Amino acid sequence: MASLRSLICFCEGVTTEDVDRALEEGFRDLESLKRRLRVGMGPCQGRYCTPMLISYLSRKLGVPPERLAPPKVRPPLEPVPARLFLGAEHEG
Amino acid sequence: MRAEVVVIGGGITGVATAYFLAERGFKKVVVFERSYLGSGSTFKCAGGIRASFTSREHIVLMKRSIELWGELSRRLGIRYARSGYLWLARREEDLERLKRYSSIHNQFGVNTRFIEPDRVEEVAPALDTSKPVGALYDPLAGNASPLDAVHKLYLASREMGVEYRFEEVRRILVEGCAVRGVASDSGVAEAESVVVAAGVWSRRLLEPLGVSLPVEPEPHHAALTEEYGRLFDPLIIDLESGAYAVQTFHGHVLMGVEIPEQPSWEPGERLAFLSKVVRVWSKWLPWLPSANILRTWVGHYEVTPDHHPVLGPVGSLEGLFIATGFSGHGFMMGPVVGEELASWIASGAPRTEEAAHLTLRRFEEGKLIKELAVIG
Repeated sequence: MASLRSLICFCEGVTTEDVDRALEEGFRDLESLKRRLRVGMGPCQGRYCTPMLISYLSRKLGVPPERLAPPKVRPPLEPVPARLFLGAEHEG
Repeated sequence: MRAEVVVIGGGITGVATAYFLAERGFKKVVVFERSYLGSGSTFKCAGGIRASFTSREHIVLMKRSIELWGELSRRLGIRYARSGYLWLARREEDLERLKRYSSIHNQFGVNTRFIEPDRVEEVAPALDTSKPVGALYDPLAGNASPLDAVHKLYLASREMGVEYRFEEVRRILVEGCAVRGVASDSGVAEAESVVVAAGVWSRRLLEPLGVSLPVEPEPHHAALTEEYGRLFDPLIIDLESGAYAVQTFHGHVLMGVEIPEQPSWEPGERLAFLSKVVRVWSKWLPWLPSANILRTWVGHYEVTPDHHPVLGPVGSLEGLFIATGFSGHGFMMGPVVGEELASWIASGAPRTEEAAHLTLRRFEEGKLIKELAVIG
């Protein structure tokens, strides 16, 4: 078990060691890392972990952070009770 | 470097084909993926796996695929469970349909059977069975994690020497009546054989070669709840609407249902989908309105006129192979398709006779195949 200090994704418990291993496996972009490690797939939807992952990858790969595209955002932005969609029939 | 085989597309079909080619001893296999692995249709799908179809081709190939899912899961540790499918009917007409399907399944050795409400409760404790129900259970069916399956096939095939290049193939190169390789932004990769496994986008790669692929990009939506403890084991289907729901290995409930859509290359998420899917599943899962929706997304069914894939060689161009048009069943067929293509490329013939019925030629010859049970 990794130490608390190395956690990158709180929801899914992903550590920097996990990220290092995935990089060695050839997963080098944020979309791939998300799906290999589940970084950003928990209830926070990547709000907390994605910036940290970008910062870590930027240092690790020597790439400026603005060159590391964050994963595509999937709606809704935060968990929404399913009942709210029941009345949304005719709105697209 | 001249490759033996170039595979275009890093979804389940591409990685499975590469895996089975490597297993047969091919040393130079190169897979091209323009985005990330699974980024086309594979990672949008629900991961359901069944042989309870209504055509001989689908049933025979899927029975083999299910054997392979078991083997791959044991060998590579892919998350896969033979947790069944449960087809639900509340109307008399739907029950009649289920009876027809089931007799076809049984005739081909897929042992679907109707089960009593108390047995439904055992496999699906969170399902409301208070109203009269017809429930057809398929114990051979199950589901696998699309993420885990693609990643582990990728890692295993890479270990066996398959090369992965993350760039887009711009053109398939042809010389005379044979393929010569592919061109990407970094140059030309020569190859003896080229497999087009680029999902719905295969059509655009084949067009310049004069090969017309009858595949339409049909948008299909899915949504996912937050994680819960065990709710139901089988993938459940509401026959009236064709909606499905499955609890993923992680505990999310993943749901889909068809809404009216036109073919589209770049579809967007739709509120009308969320509304319909929540309405349909609230009938069977009365707690659903209080559950949280975590994500929704849209992907494609790559649909052919007879809802069967286009597999195997293209008669007019030597060395050119196609594997697409799965019409919503590409993930579950991945392993058998990989095995059949590897056989076709290595020996000039598929392993299973039924696969030969699925080449592009059937559209020219008007030999279309019938399938009644397409869902989601």
